[in-house]
Amino acid sequence: MARFQPADAFRVKRDDLELLPFRFERLAADRFVVSNVVGDMATLSGVDLRRLSNLDLDPSEPLYALAAEKLLVRRKDSPVILQLLALRLRSRMGFLQHPSQLHILVVTLRCEHSCPYCQVSRRSVDRELYDMSFATALRAVDVALSSPSEHLKLEFQGGEPLLNFDLIRQVVPVARERSIAAGKTVQFVITSNLALLTDEILDFCKVNEILLSTSLDGPADLHNRNRPRPGGNSHALAVEGIRRAQELLGADRVGALMTTTQASLNRVEDIVDEYLRLGLDGIFLRPLSPYGFAVKTKQFYKYDGRVWLDFYERGLRYILEINKQGRHFPEFYTSLLMRRMLTDRPTGYVDLRSPAGIGLGALVYNYDGKVFASDEGRMLAEMGDRTFELGNLSSDDYASLILSDRLIDLVDQSLTQCAPQCSTCAFEPLCGADPVYHHATQGDPVGIKPLSEFCARQKGIMTLLVRLLEESPEDAAILRRWAR
Amino acid sequence: MTSLVIEYSAATQSLGALREAAYRLIGHGSCQIETVGDVHRCLIEPAPRRHRPDDELRSMFIDLVTDENLREKLATETAATRHLILALAFGALASKDDASSSA
Repeated sequence: MARFQPADAFRVKRDDLELLPFRFERLAADRFVVSNVVGDMATLSGVDLRRLSNLDLDPSEPLYALAAEKLLVRRKDSPVILQLLALRLRSRMGFLQHPSQLHILVVTLRCEHSCPYCQVSRRSVDRELYDMSFATALRAVDVALSSPSEHLKLEFQGGEPLLNFDLIRQVVPVARERSIAAGKTVQFVITSNLALLTDEILDFCKVNEILLSTSLDGPADLHNRNRPRPGGNSHALAVEGIRRAQELLGADRVGALMTTTQASLNRVEDIVDEYLRLGLDGIFLRPLSPYGFAVKTKQFYKYDGRVWLDFYERGLRYILEINKQGRHFPEFYTSLLMRRMLTDRPTGYVDLRSPAGIGLGALVYNYDGKVFASDEGRMLAEMGDRTFELGNLSSDDYASLILSDRLIDLVDQSLTQCAPQCSTCAFEPLCGADPVYHHATQGDPVGIKPLSEFCARQKGIMTLLVRLLEESPEDAAILRRWAR
Repeated sequence: MTSLVIEYSAATQSLGALREAAYRLIGHGSCQIETVGDVHRCLIEPAPRRHRPDDELRSMFIDLVTDENLREKLATETAATRHLILALAFGALASKDDASSSA
């Protein structure tokens, strides 16, 4: 009696095959990127795309091997493939099981900087009516702790939050005590320009394991031009603050973010070099956002998405060269996308989520007790648009905020899984809904995607990454490392 | 730049795919679709300040329609499998919710 089936039994026949759901985008006249339901990607010629679509495949040829590897086809008698895709899809959406992990407390709107691109519409330094009260802060902590997530991040923002450091000093121990009682862990972050950093504040951060996040736009001339303050010494103070924080708290306890202004566009190498010089562990190349003073002062309109993409590509290629010389130095947005592309780990980055990260990913408690679905939504409110205002700490609790009709409507309307163009886009599994951006720029949370700079930017970056992964093995190896 | 007219037979070309292609054309041109008898007539107005030659805009629209026809075919042929994957992925969540709400 034969112990094994004959070899023919394991050979795939054309009639045994079935198409799995996949999407495609045209990259060039005869080049397409295809992706399955969990974002595994490949590029194909037009002929191969049509052959695949018609299941005109010979199981002995490379096109079949590629289609099977990327889960674009399956044998009809192989239900395990469907279970695998379902499991992976569920894993990718795992962020829904841990809602509202990030809670931002705007402890003051005051700031001693006067950056023309400021997204938060800061107020002058001497107006204390823009400070959050202790009672409001405690109410925010209680709402945060009543969210279902076990691991929370409380971020103190401004304005310049160190102008109201007394409040932070009061709130942190109480929040820690209440989180222990609730069986939760809390990570604290202060987002500051570091100009007002003192040894006392650093000691407090060390004792309470507080992370620092700051702004660094590049070398002194560029940074000071972008970020004016009395004395014109923003760069010197930021650099000094970063160095002291690295020494006292540890190199991995302070991070920096840059914003691309028109003056930055030809300086990407200088900007990256400045981050390297300061021993920072990577860089996030960020475009301007359409909120706050960036709109009022018309900074946002000084370059378009195509120009920024050129800036990003030049920067990424420069950073890849640095990595080739043996220094691990990621571009953080690329890392986020590579993780979406190459792993099924749920993303913590709210802009790459659908359902959108507004409210479900973060809640923002303004200095006056108003609660917003995102930091950008708070910025819009400062411009007079209250679309993303969910309620007030004086009358709302976590459930009434997160289940408010307003939030549910906005999340529901902006799902990329069924939005025009997004629903058929090959990049959708890696992308996210950004209802605040589209509301701000187009007056519509769904957005008209063919006119959306967010969409153009996302597609431009992802197309570049697909090209690098397929055409440049050395770059691909580095990009894969960044996904870990 | 003048308006372009591209016609398709209503017997073989779906209106849905033309509408999707018209949507993706936004920013390059505006497309109005009229069905007269057995013909879908696509009237394309190039977008102002876009300097794409007429023949390029025409080719672009035809490519978009070709792509949308393929998307429509794929969606139809794989709809049942997609629904099954979604049910496998999130059906358990629905069951869990039902169980907790009836408890």
